[in-house]
Amino acid sequence: MSTEDKKFTRRQILRWVGGGLLFNATGTVLYDPIGRLIRPVNDRLGEAMLSQRLIPEIELGDHVDLGKLIVNSFDGTPKIDLANFRLQVTGQVNKPLRLSMDDIRRLPYESQITQHVCVEGWAAIVQWGGVKLSDILQIAGVKPTARYVYFTSADGYYESWDLASAQHPQTLLAYQKNDAPLPPENGAPLRLASPIKLGYKLSKWVTAVTVTDQLMTKRGYWEDQGYDWFASI
Amino acid sequence: MRPIAIRIFHWVNLIVLWGLMSSGLQIYNANPVFGGRQGWHMPSVFLLGGWLGGARNWHFTLMWFFGLNLLAYGLYILFSRRWQHYFVQQKDLQALAQSKNPQRRQFAWHRIVYTMAIPLLLLSLISGISMYQPSQLHWVARSFGSWQNLRTIHFLAVPVLISLALVHGTIASNIGNGVLLRSMFAIKSTSNS
Repeated sequence: MSTEDKKFTRRQILRWVGGGLLFNATGTVLYDPIGRLIRPVNDRLGEAMLSQRLIPEIELGDHVDLGKLIVNSFDGTPKIDLANFRLQVTGQVNKPLRLSMDDIRRLPYESQITQHVCVEGWAAIVQWGGVKLSDILQIAGVKPTARYVYFTSADGYYESWDLASAQHPQTLLAYQKNDAPLPPENGAPLRLASPIKLGYKLSKWVTAVTVTDQLMTKRGYWEDQGYDWFASI
Repeated sequence: MRPIAIRIFHWVNLIVLWGLMSSGLQIYNANPVFGGRQGWHMPSVFLLGGWLGGARNWHFTLMWFFGLNLLAYGLYILFSRRWQHYFVQQKDLQALAQSKNPQRRQFAWHRIVYTMAIPLLLLSLISGISMYQPSQLHWVARSFGSWQNLRTIHFLAVPVLISLALVHGTIASNIGNGVLLRSMFAIKSTSNS
C-alpha cells in the first residue's frame, strides 16, 4: 500500500468513528421521541405473546439455587402498622373489599419458583408464596367494562397493568419469599410477584387494587419517566 | 459495485450494530455483567440513550431493523443461490494448507472470517430475544443454562463482532487496494468500481 492509500484509510477511519459518536450524541437527545414511536409497537408484541398458560417453574438443582433480590426502592422501606393493614379492592368491581392479612391468609395458598427479572439486567430465582390475584379479583367480581388494574403502594409507588396479565394464574399477591415470611424491604406484608412482568411492575407494599376501564395519564412511577408499560418478559 | 441487496445489508448492519452496541453498553452500565453495580462501567462517550430507559428505547427499536435485515439477507442468499459458493468451502481450507499464492490465501481467510459472522449475528439475535422475553420464550432462553450465561454470551457478542468486523474490513480493504471495500459501501456507481 502506498503512503497515500494509508493516509486515505486513516482519514476514513476517523470519519467513520466521528460519524458514529455523532450518531450517539444525536440519538441520545432523541431518546424520548424514539421511545414514543417504538413502545406502543413493542407493547402490542407483548400483548400478542401473552396467554393464560403457565410459565414452567424453575427446577432447583446442582447449579440452580434460589437467588438474592437487589433491593430497589425510590423512597426506602415504609413503616406499615400490621394490625390496621387492610388491602382495598375497589373500582370496576361488584363488591369492593377491605381485607386484613388474616383474611388474605385464609384464601387458597399458592407457591411457585420463578425467575424475577429486573430492567437493570440482573435476575434471581425466587420462591414466592401468597394468593392468586385472580382469586381476589374473582371474589370482588370484576365488571365486564374492566380493562386495567391499578396498584397503590404504602410508599407512594403506583403501577397499572392490563387485566389479562393481572388475571394470569401466576400473578400473585405474595406474603412469603424463599420459604420465609416476606421481609419488609422486599415488600411485606403484601407485594406483586409474577413471572410474566419485569421487576418494576411488581409493586411492593401494595395497599390498594383498583380496577378501571381506562388508563389514566399516570401509568406507573417508572413508566411516567419513560419505561415501557406492558413490560412483559 | 456489489449487488444492491448486499450493499443494503452491509450499510444497515453497520449503522444498526453500532447503535445496538452503544445502547447495549448503556443498558450494561445499569448493572455491569461482571461484578454488578460495583463492576467496571463503560465510558459515556460510546453510549447511546443517556440513561437506562433511553437506551432501552433505542435497543428495542434497532432490534427490529437488525432482525429484519438479517432475515432479508438470509432470503436473498437463499434464493440467489449465493449460499452455494460465497461462504467458506473445503477448497479454501486446502488453499490455506497448500497454496503459496498470497492473494489466494487472503481470499480464503476472508471467506472464513465473513462466514463466521453469520452464526455470530444469529447468536446475538437469539441471546438478545431470550433476554427480552425469558418467560414467554422460556424454551429457547433456558437452553442457555442460566441467566448469567445468557448475559455473558450476549455481552461477549460486542468484542467478538467488533474484532470480526475489523479483520473483515482490513482484509477487504487490502483486496484490490480497497476496491472491494469501496464497492461494498458505494452509494452511487463510480468509475473505479
